[in-house]
Amino acid sequence: MIRYLARRAGHGAVMLLGVSILLFVLLQAAPGDFIADLKLNSQISAETLAGLRAEYGLDQPMPVRYWKWVESSAKGDFGYSFAYNTPASTLLWPRARNTLLLTVPAVLISWLIALPLGVLIAGNKSHWMDRIFSGGTSTLLALPDVLVALLALLIALKTGLFPVGGMTSASLDQQSTWQWLRDVSWHMVLPVAALVLGLLAMILRHVRSSVREVLDSSYMRAAEGHGLPRLKLLFRYALPAAANPLISLFGLSVAVLLSVSLLIEVVMGWPGIGPMLLEAILSRDLFVVIGAVLLSTAFLIAGNLLADILLYVCDPRIRMQS
Amino acid sequence: MTSGNLGLANTEPLFCVSGLSVEYDAAGGDLVHALRGVDLEIAAGQTVGVLGESGSGKSSLALSLMRLLPRNARITAGNIHHRGRNLAEFSAKQLREMRGAEVALISQEPALALNPVLPLGTQIIDVLKAHTSLKRAQLAERTGEMLRDVGFDDPERIMRAYPHQLSGGQRQRVAIAQALICRPQLLIADEPLSALDVATQAEIVELLQRLKRELNLAILFVTHNARVLSSLVDQAIVLREGEVLAQGSISKLQSSTDPYIQGLLFPERNIPAAAGPSKASRIAEYPLLQVRDLGKKFTQRHFLSRSKFTVQALEHVDLELQEGTTTAVLGRSGSGKSTLARCIAGFETADSGELMLKGRLLTPHSHNGSAHKGAEPHAVQMIFQDAATSLNPRLTARQIIAEPLEIARWKTELERATRTLELMAEVGLNADWSERLAGEFSGGQRQRLALARALAAEPKLLIMDEALSGLDMPRQAQMVRLLMDVQARHGLTYLYISHDLNFIALFAQEVVVMESSKIVEQLAPSRLNEGKHPATRALVEASERLHAPGVEVTA
Repeated sequence: MIRYLARRAGHGAVMLLGVSILLFVLLQAAPGDFIADLKLNSQISAETLAGLRAEYGLDQPMPVRYWKWVESSAKGDFGYSFAYNTPASTLLWPRARNTLLLTVPAVLISWLIALPLGVLIAGNKSHWMDRIFSGGTSTLLALPDVLVALLALLIALKTGLFPVGGMTSASLDQQSTWQWLRDVSWHMVLPVAALVLGLLAMILRHVRSSVREVLDSSYMRAAEGHGLPRLKLLFRYALPAAANPLISLFGLSVAVLLSVSLLIEVVMGWPGIGPMLLEAILSRDLFVVIGAVLLSTAFLIAGNLLADILLYVCDPRIRMQS
Repeated sequence: MTSGNLGLANTEPLFCVSGLSVEYDAAGGDLVHALRGVDLEIAAGQTVGVLGESGSGKSSLALSLMRLLPRNARITAGNIHHRGRNLAEFSAKQLREMRGAEVALISQEPALALNPVLPLGTQIIDVLKAHTSLKRAQLAERTGEMLRDVGFDDPERIMRAYPHQLSGGQRQRVAIAQALICRPQLLIADEPLSALDVATQAEIVELLQRLKRELNLAILFVTHNARVLSSLVDQAIVLREGEVLAQGSISKLQSSTDPYIQGLLFPERNIPAAAGPSKASRIAEYPLLQVRDLGKKFTQRHFLSRSKFTVQALEHVDLELQEGTTTAVLGRSGSGKSTLARCIAGFETADSGELMLKGRLLTPHSHNGSAHKGAEPHAVQMIFQDAATSLNPRLTARQIIAEPLEIARWKTELERATRTLELMAEVGLNADWSERLAGEFSGGQRQRLALARALAAEPKLLIMDEALSGLDMPRQAQMVRLLMDVQARHGLTYLYISHDLNFIALFAQEVVVMESSKIVEQLAPSRLNEGKHPATRALVEASERLHAPGVEVTA
């Protein structure tokens, strides 16, 4: 198990390296750089621009720049933000924490709702339930995430029950940790709800269809023939047997959620990776873009690693291939 | 209320079925009448056989008794009384209390009847828990006892094990233990033997006989295989297309002249001895196939560690097949029969030894993983056990048969189409069905389709890997007859792989017995009884134990 995890972690590191190289190449290919906008300003001389370019190292060939970035990453700086004049890491870490603050609860809540609900719906044989289910999930799937976020903001605005965007209230500058926590959780409600809505329909559909498939299997009929109670049949017999594709989906759901989260953060003013990435892309703040994308990649790899571990724990056929 | 004359006991019957009709919604809005007006009575301690071809409604009857019919099926007429109470009026709770505690079910595929991700002990204990209020220690104790009852010496190990760690026979024992743990009065056994090899079949039948005595168990034994019935059942009903065609003791059924019943009880009578193959036409210079010192190992790597372990699948196998003859390879599951077939067909590359086709070496040790290359790339063809999974269900019959012709770039498209229709006619498939999808054919028809496809390549050697064991007995007999006709017409050589002795005497000229990856004995089928090796004797004895007097299927 340890060896396996080490190997997967190794794969993850190689993947991160590959993504970083690809990012460098792609960003190089994109027109313009951080200095390009300054050119429009006639007060800045060509010499100054050349000097800035040299200072930022933008005049050097790409492999050299890549190597410098690797060196700085090894120190934990992950390059330098041109726009903020600080190491990129000082921007990235708080933002990463904020994004996790949204996505981790959203993933957990989505699955905690979708698993029991999906299993119960799969076990329900009425046609009405099926119709309501497919209607409901189709609607949810068809709703653009932006619209969900905007609707959430509208509700906040009309009812005044929730803050309209942001992560903390400006009024509370000096506050205890407890107050801060309460304030942040209050701000979290709407963005997390929007994320859950974005994810729930997909997970629900998968849970229902894989459990339904297992329910049609002969061993479920056999278990029913032994007179086991219904809930035990559904949750103890059907769900674990249906878990494999769902666990893989769990890894995937982390990826989906990250991309949805970037958008929701921008719309709802949550200071996560999303708004920072957007800003950095617009201003061509090279290393911040790279850092943000790599962070997302790292989350994704971590999610899939977690799925692999779960798979190992849940499936005796994988656990005992010996 | 009933017309059944099966009731022996004067007490109230366990089950009383009267006028039962069941319909299925089939694809395309069709209705399939699985049962029509079936009457049946099962008394306590009585064993009743249900005999019929595939599709005769046997399983629908079994499932109806537990109200476990699939969602697309419904009872349209008649009723079922369990101990005088109408089953249709049972509440969900009453049904649950009946299932497992009073009536239990074991089904065809023991591999599929057990949950793959739960320990077996848990699965048995859960049944007990659902019907009793025993304490944890007692639950485990009762489960251990039950497992010992069905013949396990080490119940603790079995309780911790998962289904994939057991053999097919062991899984069927566990399924029986699970079914009988609450001491039901009736066990419904739906084709419990058809997935097992003949020696295991005999063991399971013995186990059922013993449990029946010890527990005063009534058994409803559903099968297409008449020979297992007479050793187990008191009475039997014969189903045809959902209707009870006859009922009574086996000896009474044997005296029936109805061709359907005859086909079930004496399937081999469908194979006229005269249609046997012409004894190897002429002595050729070389045998068609020579197998010399073939060896094959499989290496498995552990999932999470680097250690490997090796399974020896074939060891020093020598074999010669004469042109125009049929050689049967017999052995228990796991004896290496299939690996031998796959090596000869070129699906596996042997580690050592050589294969010669008509004296020419078939590319030895080629590591390209594909079938043999050479002057006659299609000379060896193979038919698999399960045509449902070996034929692409989305292709039409025509496409399936024509594919080998297209790959070989055989003549023109028009000629290919004509040839396809000829092949369908040859294997007894209606030419009008050429545009039907493979998935729409029945099991027996699919196996004919597989044969037509194999014949399209004009092979010299046809390998059949358990190609008949998925079919019911009458269809097996029809298929053997067809194979013998085809052989006589084209001078084909057959390598027939099987785990039982059905039709061997009529079909094969040579029998090869395999055990633990070696050929242990080779003899003529008529001399099987004189076989010296324990593996041969075990096969013959198991077959005799299943052999019903008067039901002459075996050698």
